[in-house]
Amino acid sequence: MRIDPWRARLLAAGLSLSAAAGCAAPSAASDLGRIRELSHLDLPSSTAAEEVEPAATSDARPLLSRPLTADAAVRVALLNNRELRAALREIGVARGHLVQAGVLPNPELEVQVTPRQGTLEHTRVELGVEFDLTSAILAPLGERAARADHEAARYRAAGAVVELGYSVRAAFYAAQATQQRLAIANRALDAFTAARDAARALFEAGNVPELDVATQEAGYEAARVAVAGIELGLLDRREQLQRLLGLSGAETSWRIADEIPRPPEKLAMPPRPEARALSASLELAELRSRLEAAAGRAGLARTAGWLPDLSVGVRGEREDEVWQVGAGLRLTLPLFDRKQGATMAHAAEFDSLLERYHGRAIDVRSAVRAAQNRLASAHARVLHHQRVLVPARTRVLEQTLLQYNAMQVGVFELLQARREQLDAELAQVDALRDYWTSRAAFDAILAGRRVEVMGTIAPAPMSGAAESGGGH
Amino acid sequence: MDRRSFIHAGGLAAGAALLTRGLAHAQERPEHAAGQPAGARIAGAGNQPAVVTPNGSTLPWRVVDGVKVGHLIAEPIQHEFAPGLKTEAWGYNGSTPGPTIEAVEGDRLRIYVTNRLPEPTSVHWHGLVLPNGMDGVSGLNQRPIPPGETYVYEFVVRYPGTYMYHSHFDEMTQIALGGVGMFIVHPKKPRGPRVDRDFVLMTHEWKINAGARRPDPNAMSDFNVLTFNGKAFPATAPLVVGRGERARIRLGNLGPMDHHPIHLHGLSFQVTATDGGYVPASAQYPETTVLVPVGSTRVIEFVPEEPGDWAVHCHMTHHVMMQMGHGLPNMVGADTRTLDRRMSRVMPGYMTMGTTGMGGMGEMPMPIPPNSLPMKGGDGPFSYIDMGGMFTVLKVREEPGKADPNGWYTHPAGTVAGPAAAEKMRADGIDPSARK
Repeated sequence: MRIDPWRARLLAAGLSLSAAAGCAAPSAASDLGRIRELSHLDLPSSTAAEEVEPAATSDARPLLSRPLTADAAVRVALLNNRELRAALREIGVARGHLVQAGVLPNPELEVQVTPRQGTLEHTRVELGVEFDLTSAILAPLGERAARADHEAARYRAAGAVVELGYSVRAAFYAAQATQQRLAIANRALDAFTAARDAARALFEAGNVPELDVATQEAGYEAARVAVAGIELGLLDRREQLQRLLGLSGAETSWRIADEIPRPPEKLAMPPRPEARALSASLELAELRSRLEAAAGRAGLARTAGWLPDLSVGVRGEREDEVWQVGAGLRLTLPLFDRKQGATMAHAAEFDSLLERYHGRAIDVRSAVRAAQNRLASAHARVLHHQRVLVPARTRVLEQTLLQYNAMQVGVFELLQARREQLDAELAQVDALRDYWTSRAAFDAILAGRRVEVMGTIAPAPMSGAAESGGGH
Repeated sequence: MDRRSFIHAGGLAAGAALLTRGLAHAQERPEHAAGQPAGARIAGAGNQPAVVTPNGSTLPWRVVDGVKVGHLIAEPIQHEFAPGLKTEAWGYNGSTPGPTIEAVEGDRLRIYVTNRLPEPTSVHWHGLVLPNGMDGVSGLNQRPIPPGETYVYEFVVRYPGTYMYHSHFDEMTQIALGGVGMFIVHPKKPRGPRVDRDFVLMTHEWKINAGARRPDPNAMSDFNVLTFNGKAFPATAPLVVGRGERARIRLGNLGPMDHHPIHLHGLSFQVTATDGGYVPASAQYPETTVLVPVGSTRVIEFVPEEPGDWAVHCHMTHHVMMQMGHGLPNMVGADTRTLDRRMSRVMPGYMTMGTTGMGGMGEMPMPIPPNSLPMKGGDGPFSYIDMGGMFTVLKVREEPGKADPNGWYTHPAGTVAGPAAAEKMRADGIDPSARK
């Protein structure tokens, strides 16, 4: 049975008795240090402050005064994000339980006074002090389980830190990409406007029927709606980021650094990513700690089962000015209640957690492969856009201009080619966003946290909104 | 009295037909033999001049036991329509149209045809009366000539006239790619007035997308390169004739889809023959434009009276425009100021064109696709000639033998249209600013 080694160890720990009891309890600062170490993210000390401040920290202001980058956004979120601070404070619960578990039981004092009366010539005083020895023996076992729970809470919090870092990056790239999409869409709108103006000029000259003007105007108006949709998308994404950064009021006027950066030419993948992800996995580490805690509780119950309730006491009786002192021992015989049920429940909890642990390990391996696939695909796609697709559309545009100069095609075909070239740029921005989001997700897994990958915006081509007009 | 003074003495107001006929007879006089173009070949009895194929050649004969033996090679060729536009075409003996076949009535011809095309071919002798098995229709009269093989055609040319030859296998492709040529049979005895010049002009039409290198045989309309003897103006060689000489132009049309109304400036002419034979003198009538239907030849003869450089062209206006796109919006008269401002942002390098017409397009120095001649014309003595395609120049000179074919006519003082002097307009009661 798998639980045996755990139980054996716990038993040994229990028998070492109170040597461990009362060892130093962790502080909030040490929790923070441990989480920094686990998440590899520089958590500001203010997150462990004693007081809950209603306003966001002002340390973020210098970061917000410059055009925001993804790294700066992550730092601001670590300073300001209230969910993260709440998660960090939750470690305090486990920390409290840990402290409590290590505390020795209080001695029980019994005083009995019988005043002189009847046949009693003197006031009789009886004093008894009793100390629950069983609780003291079991305390280190309980403390060990609580320590494992506390460690699990630290892993959980570190996971929240890594996840927040990913969420901020993903939201940042989404906002940055949308900002860039908007700029491109506005250029496409210019092309629609030009086509409308051309149709109007031709109609004024009597060269095209009103149908052509109506067609181009309809195309232009549809493009305006598309641009308005992207404008709203940008506002939405700013707000999404705003929430993650914990900003409000005057602090919401930050600007995003101009363009979503290009990826490196060569995609560097770490060797043996599955093994790395497994060893870094904070959820597996948390589960291990929880397993340890469950094993601890199981051992505790089992030990408590065969350990008789043991109290030692000293009793004194004073009568006739004379103290008579004697010691006593009280014990219950563990004949019937040997905590069988509790032991069984804790063992089952342990087994269940162990199954979950193995399942999670499979999930983590799968997730890292999926993240790697997404990243490699996004990298290949963005390079293909950069090197092939956008240049190809640009060549189409250049050749269309030559054909226009050669009077083979008209202004409407030229503008259509322009819009299609801008569509290729839009698609490239989407691919860039995909790449950076996938990169952040992959990094998060290697830093120990599986994340839900945020989908990209559905590409909204600007080119198809109008038929060309004119010609015969 | 020389010819020039004869014409002047005859009076320009005289009936052109009568005049030219009189002149033609006059040309038969021996002194006119000296007036033959330098080096002109004689093709038949009666001092009949051989045909000249501007920009082209004549098929050479080897005479073997009294039989004229020639060799046509059907093959892919590199062909230049005009500087700036080269194409992958199919022709005969390295050119399109192929060399003009020239024979004399009664000749026995043996023509070998070697097929170097990637598909079978055959040659049909268009308009000739010959044994049925020599007519060259693949499947009907013979097996098609497989690639790499040589077939031989042998027949006697029984009737004089202006004929053509062309592929008769996969005609749509092989004719569209250039597998055509002219076939002239001179009469054994001269007929009609003797001519001093005998030209062959074969019209053709092609679809070559600007920037492409091969004609599109699938085209059914919107042909954009129109040629005389495979050349588009300004690459068409001019026809140099002497003033008062009798000239003949044999026009043939094997283009895929279009008839061509060929118009000559500065003179009128008679249609003297078709591919069916001679038009009796009594049935001839004066024209300045002759319609040459697809699959037909027309022979015109004239005697130019006025020296100068005279345009000869198809009168379909799109046939004198090189590679102009036919799907463009009409920009004429459009006020594009708003558009231009917008376009400077949208498309740097864009220029609105055609709002004041398209005459200047050929001269614009804008970058265009390589291997294309959109809207191109050629240089003229006064300014750019904004026509291309099926356009050439008839150069009527006093001394054609000495004339530079590339030179321009020198106009006597006061015979060129120019700006009107204000004083003269006033004297003539012309007010250019008046609105009626």
